[in-house]
Amino acid sequence: MDIYFSWRHPSQVVDNRRMRMTSSLQWLLSTFILLYLMNEVNSQKKGALRDFKCVTNNLQEWDCSWKAPLGAGHGTVYEVCIEDRPRSCYRLEKTNIRLSALSPGDHEIKINSLHDLQSSMSKFILNEKNVSLVPDTPEILSLSADFSTSTLHLMWNDKGSVFPHHSNVIWEIKILRKQSMELVKLVTYNTTLSGKDVIRHWSWTSDMPLECATHHVGIRCYIDYPLFSGRKEWSDWSPVKNISWIPDSQTKVFPQDKVVLVGSDITFCCVSQEKVLLAQIGHKNCPLIRLDGGNVAIEIHNISASANSGTNVVFTTEDNMFGTVVFAGYPPDSPQKLNCETHDLKEIICSWNPGRPTALVGPRNTSYTLFESFSGKYVKFKRVEALTNENYQLLFQMLPNQEIYNFTLNARNPLGRSASSILVNITERVSPHTPTSFKVKDINSTAVTLFWHLPGNFAKINLLCEIEINKANSAQDLRNVTIKGVENSSYLVAVDKLNPYTIYTFRIRCSAETFWKWSKWSNEKKHLTTEAIPSKGPDTWREWSSDGKNLIIYWKPLPINEANGKILSYNVSCSSNEETQSLSEIPDPQHKAEIQLDKNDYIISVVAKNSVGSSPPSKIASMEIPNDDLKVEQAVGIGKKILLTWHHDPNMTCDYVIKWCNSSRSDPCLMDWKKIPSNSTETIIESDQFRPGVRYNFFLYGCRNQGYQLLRSITGYIEELAPIVAPNFTVEDTSADSILVKWEDIPVEELRGFLRGYLFYFEKGERDTSKRGSVESGRSDIKVKNITDISQKTLRIADLQGKTSYHLVLRAYTDGGMGPEKSMFVVTKENSVGLIIAILIPVAVAVLVGVVTSILCYRKREWIKETFYPDIPNPENCKALQFQKSVCEGSSALKTLEMNPCTPNNVEVLETRSTVPKIEDTEIISPVAERPDDSSDVEPENHVVVSYCPPIIEEELPNPAVDEAGGTAQVVYIDVQSMYQPQAKPEEEQDTDPVVGAGYKPQMRLPINSAAEATAAGDGVDKTAGYRPQANVNTWNLVSPDSPRSTDSNSEIVSFGSPCSINSRQFLIPPKDEDSPKSNGGGWSFTNFFQNKPND
Amino acid sequence: MSCHLVAPLCLLSLLLPPLSPAAPISPAEPISQAYSLALYMQKNTSTLLQTYLQHQGSPFSDPGFSAPELQLSSLPPAAVPFKTWHALDDGERLNRAQGAFLALTQHLQLVGDDQSDLNPGSPILLAQLGAARLRAQGLLGNMAAIMTALGLPIPPEEDTLGLVTFGASAFERKCRGYVVTREYGHWTDRVVRDLALLKAKYPA
Repeated sequence: MDIYFSWRHPSQVVDNRRMRMTSSLQWLLSTFILLYLMNEVNSQKKGALRDFKCVTNNLQEWDCSWKAPLGAGHGTVYEVCIEDRPRSCYRLEKTNIRLSALSPGDHEIKINSLHDLQSSMSKFILNEKNVSLVPDTPEILSLSADFSTSTLHLMWNDKGSVFPHHSNVIWEIKILRKQSMELVKLVTYNTTLSGKDVIRHWSWTSDMPLECATHHVGIRCYIDYPLFSGRKEWSDWSPVKNISWIPDSQTKVFPQDKVVLVGSDITFCCVSQEKVLLAQIGHKNCPLIRLDGGNVAIEIHNISASANSGTNVVFTTEDNMFGTVVFAGYPPDSPQKLNCETHDLKEIICSWNPGRPTALVGPRNTSYTLFESFSGKYVKFKRVEALTNENYQLLFQMLPNQEIYNFTLNARNPLGRSASSILVNITERVSPHTPTSFKVKDINSTAVTLFWHLPGNFAKINLLCEIEINKANSAQDLRNVTIKGVENSSYLVAVDKLNPYTIYTFRIRCSAETFWKWSKWSNEKKHLTTEAIPSKGPDTWREWSSDGKNLIIYWKPLPINEANGKILSYNVSCSSNEETQSLSEIPDPQHKAEIQLDKNDYIISVVAKNSVGSSPPSKIASMEIPNDDLKVEQAVGIGKKILLTWHHDPNMTCDYVIKWCNSSRSDPCLMDWKKIPSNSTETIIESDQFRPGVRYNFFLYGCRNQGYQLLRSITGYIEELAPIVAPNFTVEDTSADSILVKWEDIPVEELRGFLRGYLFYFEKGERDTSKRGSVESGRSDIKVKNITDISQKTLRIADLQGKTSYHLVLRAYTDGGMGPEKSMFVVTKENSVGLIIAILIPVAVAVLVGVVTSILCYRKREWIKETFYPDIPNPENCKALQFQKSVCEGSSALKTLEMNPCTPNNVEVLETRSTVPKIEDTEIISPVAERPDDSSDVEPENHVVVSYCPPIIEEELPNPAVDEAGGTAQVVYIDVQSMYQPQAKPEEEQDTDPVVGAGYKPQMRLPINSAAEATAAGDGVDKTAGYRPQANVNTWNLVSPDSPRSTDSNSEIVSFGSPCSINSRQFLIPPKDEDSPKSNGGGWSFTNFFQNKPND
Repeated sequence: MSCHLVAPLCLLSLLLPPLSPAAPISPAEPISQAYSLALYMQKNTSTLLQTYLQHQGSPFSDPGFSAPELQLSSLPPAAVPFKTWHALDDGERLNRAQGAFLALTQHLQLVGDDQSDLNPGSPILLAQLGAARLRAQGLLGNMAAIMTALGLPIPPEEDTLGLVTFGASAFERKCRGYVVTREYGHWTDRVVRDLALLKAKYPA
């Protein structure tokens, strides 16, 4: 709000200023007017003239006039003088004067007015520039109307004679409508004046039909003369003339039956005495425009295309209806695809497409005229209403000796016109009619003549005709021929190179040689060409009958292309040097003949005959040249074919023949044969008759001059199949452990392939067990024998169990597969000898064992007695025990040796490096202490030896130089008895296998090298080590037989568990009595006896 | 046009009974024939009118179009006060019908020509107009036979159309055609009743 106030103040200031200025202007203006009025009054008072002005209508005379001063009444006389013109004063009583035109420039005019003896003088300067040129008012000579076209025609005189100069004139014409004179049109119309009177015409077409309203016309003009420097003005309007329609009947609607362009605007009106209530065009109601009287009008904008019968416009009064029809359409489209051609060179047919429909029909439809400009002739199109959107066509009669035509097709309808042109050389636009009356006639067996009719006069051109020749099972043959055109429309052409006795289908079409269009094909004509003599003799073969007396001659029917007709019969003749036999007229379906011949050297010839004649004879020699060197070979086909190859034989001069037949047929057997040229060495035999699984015999014959020689005999299958039956087999013989099986051959028909072998299965099983059924491979209890020797017919199955049921299965196989199985159950015979043997052997063995045992027991009775029932010795007599007692004083029992109380006496350890074994009593030298970096292999051994507590045994490390183990420490156990042996013994032992040597020797005698021990320890084979302590144990056992002894002699723990007694000094004392070895042996257990036995 | 003329001639020869004035014929048979034909015509009149109107565009083709105010001076209206109609004697009755159908045949010809200009592509309409004209001519022949049988004078053929019709506008032609086809129906209805009356009067 504050801002508003602050801005208002300046605007108010501005307003105030404006108001001030306006008021001052008004004051000035009023002052000026007042001064002027005073001046006027003063001048009038003086009697001055006013308003002097001059006009002219023809530039030759000026009409000048003025106004008398106020108060000047009648009787005033004016004296007008032109100053620069001599004697040019005029005295007159009126206030105007006609002067001839003055020269350019200012002229002073003095007018002295004399009234009641008073005079006053006025002076005017007159110049052409001040003169106005105002033409005379034109006059309408006539105004007429053409009601049908709503056109007004105006006629007036330009009065050019009045105006002497050539000048442009502008006419302005106004058209007023209705009684109220509403201006509807103001138009200008330019003409020139030529100095003569000319009647001018002007026409104007009204949008409103003239019938419905009075039209008024007025005219004025303006002369545009450029040399006149004064003012040029329009003339006054002429008096208007009007035109109105006198109704000739009660009511009318206008315009009637008008044809208009689609989209245009049109006004309809109705002249009616009654009140028009409604106006409609089609379905649509239109607002009424009221005219004078009861007349009304409607305006239609952008009218749409009419239906055929036009668009109705209807005005409805209370009790009547009035109407008109308007046809809204289009002007004709320019004819499209105008094309002219001729079918017969007599008439030219021009066709076209009318293009866009005009929506106008009947009398308003487009009319076409075809105009030929060279001849000046034309034809008009006669309408056939049905052809609305199809091609239109017109016929134009050809003119003699005119080939080039320039056609223009004019199209016209009430809304406009259009045209199309075409220039044609008609001989290049020939599209002949369809050939008619097409006929075929024979010339000979390979040629025919075709006749046809082609309407038209083609004498001036050549025709190109295409003949289509169709033959069954053959490619279509198209032949083009050029024929000279003729006037009479009949044509003929010869067609050759046809086959005799063949059905052909012919048809023909033609065009001009300068190709434009083919005619349609003529009707087809079927034609059978005539017969010719057969071109070849039939393919012939012969077979001797089985008894060799008759010759059977076979031949094949000729193929249709060689028969050249229907074969009626055959002639067969056999000729030798001496005689000729012939069989004639063998009717056609028969292709075989039999002749009885005495010899076998004949030439047989066969001739086929049709209605025209006989074929050349086909000859074949009857003789069969024997071939001793003949083997039967096998062959199997591929697909449905079988390939046969052979070596080239230069002796075979004519050809090879392969004949074949089903092997199961009896001789002479012939299914078919095939001839192969003599230079071939292979052929593929193919026949529809071949069936898979059927054996065929193929015979290859070579042909020589005198006859045929069988070269090869081949048995073959097109395809091998599996046998359909199993071999029939029987059991010939059965024993307790074997079965002899015998089988028969499978017939060839059922084998269906080359037999490749048999499969024989057998298994234990009875007839009704679940195993019964097909023999399946892969079952472990089934034994299979594959018999690939197909000549083998028996099989013995051995190694069977007696009195057992066996299931036997036999099947045959070919390359085509396995045949079915045939099975049988056989029970082997009972085996009595075996049973007896089975009883006798165990009895005999039992007796034998008893006897041997008895003998052994008898012979070893002493030992047994000693072992099982020994004499109990008197302990008092035992020196050892006494000795023991004294040594191990304080020990309460002798059964076990206490470790702890045992005090080692002397252990001698021999160092490995010492070259000379050194025996030191009561001194132990640990190898570990001595050689801490000794090899790891030895280490545990040494360790064991060292931890051996208490090592009573004197160990001797052998000389390393001698020791092959190289660097390993050796502990030598030295038996007391053999204390001095090691020097000799180890030398022997070094050569032997240390393991073997170490394994057994220590038991009795000792030195065990540590290498053997190390190996034993490393390998876990502790036996060698195991025995060692046993030796000591034995000694120990001798002393204490009741001590618990481990059966596991391998255990080191055991062996070392009680070395106490071993190392006791007592053991080191050599045995003094002979009992000790004995007792040593007696201390062995029974198992020891057996174990040591092999060593002994 | 030639085909338009030949066909009706053929049909006329079939429809017209053999003219044998010498032998007096019973009126029952021609009455019966005429009645049958009139009944047959009656079945087709509304179809003709509908077909005609459909081809003239709106408002003629609008459903329920009717303009009873449209009349043709050259065509006698069929509408007549019942009493007047009932009081007519046979001769007068047949005379009026005869005159009306004579005018109708001429008018149908005119309408046919008009429509070949306005609707040249509508053979159905043209065929129906042609057929209606032939039937009207056939009925004329039948009525002439009746009059002959009844011993009544046959009115001479006259040109009912005159010269006035040629300059007609398209709208006038459409209206004219409408009046003709409408009146053809009305007159057919009336002649069916006329003939029914005669038939009752002259039983076979």
